[in-house]
Amino acid sequence: MKKDNIENLIALSNDLRWQIGDDFHDNLTEGIYADAAEIVSAAVHKKDEKGKLRFDARIDKIITSRTWGFPLMFLVLATVLWLTIVGANYPSAFLGNILLDHIHPFLKTLATNIGFPIWLNGFLIDGVYLAVAWVVAVMLPPMAIFFPLFTLLEDFGYLPRVAFNLDNLFKRAGAHGKQALTMSMGFGCNAAGVVATRIIDSPRERLIAIITNNFSLCNGRWPTQILIATIFVGAVVPQSFSGIASLAAVIGIAVLGMGFMFLTSWALSKTVLKGEVSTFNLELPPYRPPRFWKTIYTSLIDRTLIVLWRAIVFAAPAGAVIWLISNLHIGDITIAAWTIDLFNPFGFLLGLNGVILLAYVVAIPANEIVIPTILMLTVLVTGISGGAGAGVMFEADSANATGDILRSGGWTLLTAINLMLFSLLHNPCSTTIYTIYKETKSVKWTVVASILPVIMGFVVTFLVAQIWRILA
Amino acid sequence: MYSPVWALSLFIGISILLFLLFRPEKGWFWAIRKSNINNQKIVIEDILKLLYHSENQDKILNINDITTSLNEPESNILESVNEMARHSLILIEGENVRLSESGSDYALRMVRAHRLWEKFLAEKTGFAESDWHHIAEKKEHELTDQDTDYLASVLGNPQFDPHGDPIPTKTGKVADIKGIALSDLDVNHLGRIIHIKDKPDIIYKQILAENIHIGSQVRVVEKDSNRIVFHCEGEAFKLAPIIAANITVSLLKKEYISEDNVARLSMLNENEYATIIGISKEMRGESRRRLLDLGFVKGANVKVDLLNPLGEPKAFLIKGTSIALRNNQASKILIKKD
Repeated sequence: MKKDNIENLIALSNDLRWQIGDDFHDNLTEGIYADAAEIVSAAVHKKDEKGKLRFDARIDKIITSRTWGFPLMFLVLATVLWLTIVGANYPSAFLGNILLDHIHPFLKTLATNIGFPIWLNGFLIDGVYLAVAWVVAVMLPPMAIFFPLFTLLEDFGYLPRVAFNLDNLFKRAGAHGKQALTMSMGFGCNAAGVVATRIIDSPRERLIAIITNNFSLCNGRWPTQILIATIFVGAVVPQSFSGIASLAAVIGIAVLGMGFMFLTSWALSKTVLKGEVSTFNLELPPYRPPRFWKTIYTSLIDRTLIVLWRAIVFAAPAGAVIWLISNLHIGDITIAAWTIDLFNPFGFLLGLNGVILLAYVVAIPANEIVIPTILMLTVLVTGISGGAGAGVMFEADSANATGDILRSGGWTLLTAINLMLFSLLHNPCSTTIYTIYKETKSVKWTVVASILPVIMGFVVTFLVAQIWRILA
Repeated sequence: MYSPVWALSLFIGISILLFLLFRPEKGWFWAIRKSNINNQKIVIEDILKLLYHSENQDKILNINDITTSLNEPESNILESVNEMARHSLILIEGENVRLSESGSDYALRMVRAHRLWEKFLAEKTGFAESDWHHIAEKKEHELTDQDTDYLASVLGNPQFDPHGDPIPTKTGKVADIKGIALSDLDVNHLGRIIHIKDKPDIIYKQILAENIHIGSQVRVVEKDSNRIVFHCEGEAFKLAPIIAANITVSLLKKEYISEDNVARLSMLNENEYATIIGISKEMRGESRRRLLDLGFVKGANVKVDLLNPLGEPKAFLIKGTSIALRNNQASKILIKKD
């Protein structure tokens, strides 16, 4: 009897739903807004704010104008990047000096004095400590400069206008204008860029932004690009042009990254992501003076420290692995030498070498330690003098010294160019991979985001190598 | 042993092979997989649907018509027709084929599954309008009765699919649409678009490209054997009669609100003010909710706030906030200029 009643009720509700029709949700929202408007008009007294609005409109007219909009945008981005890269050199050198040149030897001596066995000493101090110290020294200063600057721009209200100006370009690639912001954020750190995609509230466009964020050269990769370009690209042009040539090469790689970002966004939105829900809206908030100290504080705590902490957590075991592979032996050669031999044929096919591939495998946790690892491994397998011992990452005193070590490892201009390409197109670091998983909660998209760039890197370096060899 | 030319050729060869295997739709891999699926059920269901739609238009088909309409080998179709006769889904009278009562029921269930899935695609996914029909055409064969019932309840037992076709209920009730083809609407008569036919593909895509929406009011202003000109939401459209025949309109009384003031938000110029009349039926699902939540509701005042250096999106001032919308969204919001 009761059951019958319930079924009758359900039937009745279905009938009524038919009668109400599709407009139900519309009418409800209209009603809510009408009520809200009534309450507002009764309760809120507004001052005449016309003057202020006009001021906002004047800024907007300039920022979104055909003439000034785009130059202004590039100027702001270039300034932020320049401040970050150049400004970070000094604190980085300072931190490096303290953490690597003073505390490291001190810890080593301390461990010896306490009576640590040599292997434990090497494993903990040369492996774990050194990797962590390196990541902190290289990663902390640029992030501590970049994120506050970026957050200030965001707070002021400029960044939504950038998304507004650029949306049409991104729309053609099937993406959201706000991806311009997450991409710029990726220039600082891809993990932070992936977190920043939360501002995109359309599921399809957000996934696109997450998967393609890795095509923005991050802080960990800028120094690699600049170093290699200076050593190899700068050397093939006359001395007086070497600075410009290497700068052009680095910018070229960054722009190429944007090209890949658009291409991949387009391909994803036309294929695998076709069915994901897509909406668009972009709010342009009024300009307001940034709350300076609060912004600095939150951007340091929320962005810099969290990312740094994750990087440290991942770098520590990487350091241990780097030390272990260089010191443990299979037969009479180290694991590192053995793996490098294994990777060498494939590396050659890509115009790279086994050392580089191994360095990119062990340095998945942090792009910052790729060059120190390459240098250490090159010294290890070539047996040339230099370096600080098996499994101890180091950096040469000057670009020239670095160049000498790399050339004795068999590097040519092709190796250098392909390294720059591979540095742009390879899997995200483990911090970013972990962040992608946290943000998407999907193993599938995490795997796609991790594997896709590596495959592209293999294909691009392979093609460049073959064409180079055919033409050379 | 190694030569860059060889390596490059090998790579190009492998790429071409992969492309041939996996390219969308036509790839060999998909073709092989498709041929492995037992497709007699699919053929039978397609014949049922064909018969159902023809009988709805009072056309009686013979076996010849069926073989020419379906893209299947003749032997397959004949086999399926025999199978259907054995299960008394159809009655064969001489050359002519008719649906039996149980066949009719079955066909109605297929139609229900197809239209519900189209509704689902429109409301809950991001697939493009032109893809809906093709996806539903495949999916309808996979849905069980429980699936369709569940789908219907999730979607709130909708009456119509996104093209304006009625969705049969579980008990087989079909709401009927009372309307005439746009090509039959007389000059100066008002109508409201209630249905856009999604077949044939070429015509449907043309209508989509014209940006004509279900639920819009139209008024025919000129008509001859070559073309029909009508006003709709502040714009003039010209269509060939054969295309207009695929659009169904319901007649509206002349004294119904005149549509001359109605325009689309995308047509609002700088320094003009307007009041929102509503959001087009074509704005669906998540996107529609979002617009409503932002305050694009009936009666709200709106003006252009900012033009874009690249054309779109434009920012509109609504409820004191500046919201940027792309043209395809703004064209689905109806306004009355003040």
